[in-house]
Amino acid sequence: MAEDIVDVLIIGAGASGAAVSWSLADTRMRIVCFEQGDWTNPADYPSTASNWESQAYGPYHIDPNVRGRDTDYPINNDDSAVTVVNFNGVGGSTILYGAHFPRLHPSDFRVRTLDGVADDWPIDYDTLQPYFATNDRMMGVSGLAGDPMYPAKQPPLPPLPMGLVGETVARGFNKLGWHWWPSDSAIISQPYQGRDKCVNLGPCLSGCAQGGKSSTDITYWPEAIRRGVELRTRCRVREVTVNEHGFANGVVYYNAAGEECFQRAEVVVMACNGVGTPRILLNSKSTQFPDGLANGSGLVGKNLMFHPIAFVQGLFDERLDSHKGPQACCILSKQFYETDQSRGFVRGYNMQIARGAGPLGTAMGGFVSGTIPWGHGHHEAFRQRFDHVASIGIVCEDLPEERNTVTLDPTRVDSNGIPAPKITYRYSDNSLRMMEHGQARATEALQAAGARSVTSSGPMRMSGWHLLGTARAGNDPQRSVVNHWGRSHDVKNLFIVDGSVFVTGGGVNPASTIQAWALYVADTMKKNLANLFD
Amino acid sequence: MPEIISTDYPLTRSQQVLLAALLDTLVPASDDGVMPSATDVGFDAYLLAQAEEFVPLLVSALQRFEPSFVDLPLTDRCERVREFSANDPALFQALLTRVYDCYYQNDRVRVQIGVATGAPFPQGNQVPPGDLSLLDPVIEHRARHVYRKP
Repeated sequence: MAEDIVDVLIIGAGASGAAVSWSLADTRMRIVCFEQGDWTNPADYPSTASNWESQAYGPYHIDPNVRGRDTDYPINNDDSAVTVVNFNGVGGSTILYGAHFPRLHPSDFRVRTLDGVADDWPIDYDTLQPYFATNDRMMGVSGLAGDPMYPAKQPPLPPLPMGLVGETVARGFNKLGWHWWPSDSAIISQPYQGRDKCVNLGPCLSGCAQGGKSSTDITYWPEAIRRGVELRTRCRVREVTVNEHGFANGVVYYNAAGEECFQRAEVVVMACNGVGTPRILLNSKSTQFPDGLANGSGLVGKNLMFHPIAFVQGLFDERLDSHKGPQACCILSKQFYETDQSRGFVRGYNMQIARGAGPLGTAMGGFVSGTIPWGHGHHEAFRQRFDHVASIGIVCEDLPEERNTVTLDPTRVDSNGIPAPKITYRYSDNSLRMMEHGQARATEALQAAGARSVTSSGPMRMSGWHLLGTARAGNDPQRSVVNHWGRSHDVKNLFIVDGSVFVTGGGVNPASTIQAWALYVADTMKKNLANLFD
Repeated sequence: MPEIISTDYPLTRSQQVLLAALLDTLVPASDDGVMPSATDVGFDAYLLAQAEEFVPLLVSALQRFEPSFVDLPLTDRCERVREFSANDPALFQALLTRVYDCYYQNDRVRVQIGVATGAPFPQGNQVPPGDLSLLDPVIEHRARHVYRKP
């Protein structure tokens, strides 16, 4: 019997794995994607039940250590100021993300040149521009053309409703003369490609039962599978193996029964996010690669970036119906996105206006903050706060530092015995000064909008959505892990398409840019099929 | 009266009485009677249907109170609850989460606070689109909001 060899093996079926799979399907090669989790059933999502809020703290919790599914792997956050949040399954973290979908800015690709910090990317915004557009179309992005803070772009769908929250905060921005714009959102505002539109359920962060939120299980994957890509769930990769010539030749993985298996492949593509990818590479040690695969630079797992996040909350006299509508998608402000040295820090941050919590979240949040007591005063305090809140998230750019790392935990393992990732992360002084500035400016904006009181909390610990930088791209093999089109400097048939490759993080949610990178890498592979390994 | 009541209900009669007093202390009815007390929203049924795993912790919480708790004036009951909260904040927070979880799923409560009854899906919510003419000042001053070119 002939040995089973796939042409391209993609590890991870999340944001980037779905995009690269779909694009590579053009080649008619044999493409297989391994996903350690399962398909999710939207009928099981919390928003289909009246106890959706408490369910979001259980099987759909954003923290894998709390969620504790057997398809999750534990993460040691003990030495980190930020804890990692994610989802493992078809769609990856797009199942639970907020779907706020801004692109990186042109300046984000040139921070060394512009501001003398970190490094420039080996590509620029214009390189990714066509892939941003393709990705917007594939995912189904709602937004409004004409934002002066970006080069011209045309979201395929009109913007999501701003609601009273958006209008109220927008008036505050206008009083101050600040920039704001309706957010680009990976949530469909109109019926689109067989999906029905968002109906403003609210709980986007525990899965969208309506299917209005663009998670890749309902966008890219049906198309990719129709075009011949094979997606195998419950396949957890332990390591990428190499042949005597230093080429990747397959993976060792565990199937649903927990059996150790081997899959041969001609090309391996890593799409496991900024924690999962370095974890597997560091666990792929061999005689030829004693420090882990593709780690000649020693930078695999280093330069971990999150986005330091704070929240500033305004309480308004008028009812804003803030529990209704997409939680994380409303309007944004880029007023303080670009560097102004007079502020005392380099680079900048995005202000992301968020809607409010549901009743349980409001009551418990009020208990924790001391604003809503239990007992006699509960009803009046609850009435004053519930649906009367608008929030501004401060999403700060996080510059790369080699001290911030993903390593292999020496003792903790997942259910298959694979070492768990250990996160080591500290905020930089620059990030903290930036956040302090952002909290003060958000307070100013909410007061200008008419808030009766404003409270601020940050940096938030459970906020590690954006997992970036741990296998950075670059032209110098001594200073980067992959080249300008995602190919490992050390292993010519190994590619990385997830957020690990980010050289710098920008100050916006990265999903749009991660997927544009994945499409760009796939397209470059297709153009170079004849000499892919040269 | 037997200590163990019929059916599968996991609390004894005395625990039930204590629980009712505790619920009434945590979320009393509003003065105008519009908002019900936490004793009036079916915590028993909630416990069986949605929070069975919480029963051992609930029993542990109830054990922090003397039987005489039920006969104390409200101010004294509040004081006892505050002591419990200070001595075991994690258990108290777990209890309060369950009490609020049950309370704010109740249809009568939801109607009063302006939230649709039942699950969010499939009915969803109406959200006004918002007035995009509010963007006029941003567009008018687009020259000062321009992105930074590398």
